[in-house]
Amino acid sequence: MKRKNAISAVLAVAMLAAAILLGCGSDENSGKTEIEILQYKPEAAAYFDQVEEEFNASHDDIHLTISSPNDASTIMRTRFVREDYPDIIGIGGDINYSYYVDADILADVSDYPGMADIKQSYVDILEALEITPKDGTYGVPYVANAAGILYNKDMFEEHGWEIPESWGELMDLCEEIKSEGILPFYFGFRDTWTCLAPWNSLAVDLAPADTCKQVNAGETTFTDEYRETAEKCLQLVSYGPEDPVAYGYNDACTAFARGESAMYPIGSYAVPQILQVNPEMNIDSFVTPGNDDASKNTLNSGVDLMFAVTAACENKEAAYEVLDFLLEDANLQAYIDDQNAVPCKEGDFELAPMLDGMKSYIESGNMTDYQDHYYPSEMAVDAQIQTLLINKDVDAFLAKFDKDWTRYNREIIRAVQEYNEENGTAE
Amino acid sequence: MYEKMKARVNWPITILLFIGLITVAFPLYMTIVIAFKQPTEMTNSISGILSLPAHWSLSNFAQAMELTDFWHSLGNSLLVTVTTVVLCILLHSLMGYAVGRNKAHSKFYNIVYLFIVSGMFVPFAILMMPLAKQTAEMHLDNWAGVILLYVVFYMPMNLLLYTGYLVNIPIALEEAARVDGASTWRTFWKIIFPIMKPMHATVAVITALAVWNDVMTPLIIMSGKGQNTLPLAQLTFQTQFGTNYNLAFASYLLALIPIIIFYVICQKQIINGVVNGAVK
Amino acid sequence: MKKVNDSKRTYMLITIPILALFVCFNTIPLIRGVIYSFTNFKGFGTYDFVGLRNYMDLFTDPRIGGSYLFTIKLAIVATIVTNVISLLLALGLNSRIKGKTFLRAAYFVPNVLGALVVGYIFQYFFTYILPGIGEALGIKALEGSMLSNSSTAWIAIVIVCAWQSIAMNTIIYISGLQTVPEDVYEAGDLDGATGWKKFRYLTFPLIIPFFTINMVLCVKNFLMVFDQIMAMTKGGPEQSTESISYLIYNNGLSGGSFGYQSANAVVFFIVIVAISVAQMSISSKKEEQL
Repeated sequence: MKRKNAISAVLAVAMLAAAILLGCGSDENSGKTEIEILQYKPEAAAYFDQVEEEFNASHDDIHLTISSPNDASTIMRTRFVREDYPDIIGIGGDINYSYYVDADILADVSDYPGMADIKQSYVDILEALEITPKDGTYGVPYVANAAGILYNKDMFEEHGWEIPESWGELMDLCEEIKSEGILPFYFGFRDTWTCLAPWNSLAVDLAPADTCKQVNAGETTFTDEYRETAEKCLQLVSYGPEDPVAYGYNDACTAFARGESAMYPIGSYAVPQILQVNPEMNIDSFVTPGNDDASKNTLNSGVDLMFAVTAACENKEAAYEVLDFLLEDANLQAYIDDQNAVPCKEGDFELAPMLDGMKSYIESGNMTDYQDHYYPSEMAVDAQIQTLLINKDVDAFLAKFDKDWTRYNREIIRAVQEYNEENGTAE
Repeated sequence: MYEKMKARVNWPITILLFIGLITVAFPLYMTIVIAFKQPTEMTNSISGILSLPAHWSLSNFAQAMELTDFWHSLGNSLLVTVTTVVLCILLHSLMGYAVGRNKAHSKFYNIVYLFIVSGMFVPFAILMMPLAKQTAEMHLDNWAGVILLYVVFYMPMNLLLYTGYLVNIPIALEEAARVDGASTWRTFWKIIFPIMKPMHATVAVITALAVWNDVMTPLIIMSGKGQNTLPLAQLTFQTQFGTNYNLAFASYLLALIPIIIFYVICQKQIINGVVNGAVK
Repeated sequence: MKKVNDSKRTYMLITIPILALFVCFNTIPLIRGVIYSFTNFKGFGTYDFVGLRNYMDLFTDPRIGGSYLFTIKLAIVATIVTNVISLLLALGLNSRIKGKTFLRAAYFVPNVLGALVVGYIFQYFFTYILPGIGEALGIKALEGSMLSNSSTAWIAIVIVCAWQSIAMNTIIYISGLQTVPEDVYEAGDLDGATGWKKFRYLTFPLIIPFFTINMVLCVKNFLMVFDQIMAMTKGGPEQSTESISYLIYNNGLSGGSFGYQSANAVVFFIVIVAISVAQMSISSKKEEQL
């Protein structure tokens, strides 16, 4: 009997403890309009905490909460399943955005006055991501990222190497670097996603920006559009380490930081990881020159973070006020400084030094979205590129790409073709 | 007596076990060395990674503790783990007894046994979304829900363990108690529950370890509201494009200590509670 | 007579509430998940029922086939390796040795280290250290990284899986060995049974229930392998290490084919239950024989 009592005591304590835990964590701000932002970049959490604090200090009628949780994509999914939508979500401009627009989760923000200040090229990028054209705008682009080739500035100056502007010049440069006993590129293809970095930056130069949409509409095939990209990707990789699949992203960043290679084809997002190992390093970047005609080359840039108001948001006016605050020049500049990002807003912003080589493209708006933003993640295009880079069989790669594309995009293709039948194929 | 024990130490096995320890010591050495190094000391060369840190400083540990809000997260982790383990031992041993003693002769209990044990093989991914929805509907999107789910998730494995252990406990013990007029309920708590001590310790270790390291359940059930457990807080070190291994390793080493201590305590119980001792 | 009824009632009173809890949080969500497997649900938004399409697709998807082959191969080899080593380790740790507490704690460590740490260290080991050893010793086979070669990457995964799981299996074997009464050994000593014979005819029959438990847990854990894949290869090289759980998580939860991967999960569940039931019935026959 004694033992029974002991057990019920333990149970009671456990229940009590659970109840106490439940109790805390609920803080009420009665009378104010609550706005909640859920954004997917935990690395910018410190910035958003500061914004939240400043916003709440200067606004009496609205209470803002910004959460920057780890693994935000899983959290977003579970909250959508529960139909517990945040007012604003901060996401990237990729296929998930396409899905969310298609699922009517996001609200039309074309009536947002601040939209006028956003660079048209980024608004167009979002527009293009819609699976079937839909009236309205569903996200406010905040910042973009850019990918090309990072290079070791000091090493380039020391050897007098020039920034290549055409494919021929890039190949010559690689030969020259190699002849001096230095490895031109480093790669970390064991982390499959990094295979997309050289791929994307070549594909924007060599394939039409709307390749995927054209394929969906049945107008072309990847075999026709991607052959040159695949072949040049293989050429690029031949100037890397002997077995690039042996190394991971972190190995490649460390190697590049230690001066083991002159260049590293990856996005500007890798810079903090590189500087962590070698804080003194001078890194700059240039646009991957995929064409021999320099004027045809374009910067690979996409929307890295946008804010989208959800359809469930009850107070759009308040949400817009929050967006206004986030887009204030000083706040946006603070984000750019913190994350080496490219602003999506018109205006005079100071860019991080490692983007110097891309500045002219950014300023003239000569940029094209990442092709992989159209790839469904379950198709694992990164893994298919990894396979290509290992067995170097371009024909097999392209054939599989076309075959898998129709398999994984069945529903999208059907939707696009139905739409085209109804509205006529003319764009 | 002492002399006799000493004489019976099996030296060859002791030596072999110490040699085998290299498979544990080497990775652990790497973890410790990296936890003390600065990011600028990281290299891709073998000698570089195996070398001792330039300075032995606890700054990584201090910083890791700050970033994970260590004491808070530790408190949450401890509370969830301890509550789950206690509930599991009480409920699962009871269930193990009821099912284990009857499944041989009752079809019903045999089906219950197979039904629950087969729950072990349900891929968690298929349960995730429905559970996220269900717990929110039941207002269990909080610690209580997480703990409840753990009790359910580990039930199949623990049932397997308890019923397996019960096979080796002679039924004569209970019959003797029943003859003395004790009820089944009383017999369980008075006789069976204490005899199962080594299994309680085993269940405690396995359950505690699983709960201690689990990220997914609190992540989806609480969806970022509420407070972090240690593994959730440790996700801070890994972002999409960068990982600070030095801080992460320091943090993992810190998280390792409580569970190792718990294990050592439980191990003693496993050894001390030898069944044949109880039988006598 | 009253006594028997009384005890029956007690058993029922214990079983029913716990069973209800289990049904509520395991069976019901499972049924909901099974319903999703007949839809084109992405994980959010609206969805339509598509009948058996997802199931038909499964059988024509070469990636699913490849993942089954890889996962089963891994599970069989890792189960054998893990059980042999952990049984030996348990016997060793249970014998009269010096530094018992220390050794037991030390061998437990691999189980506690987080996936990030294990991933980093073993990636380092396979990328730099092992090829370094290979070069130093002039062993050609070791000079390349095991992780970049699609014919050896799975072996690396087996090594990591075994390294991490041995600890748990050892604990279960040790607790099993506690149920072997001392007098069995003493009797054995009198009969002059030693070493292998003593284990084969005296110890092993008594720990068969634990052997069964470990086999089932191993098969289950390795068939559901996910963390080690994420930490080591992310399914590569050449998609050769995509496990079933890897596809279910990555394509179903992170990607947009939740409905399809739910169908995969349902089929997978049925396969594992079938394997495990077969395994348990074989072992229980063995138990009876002995």
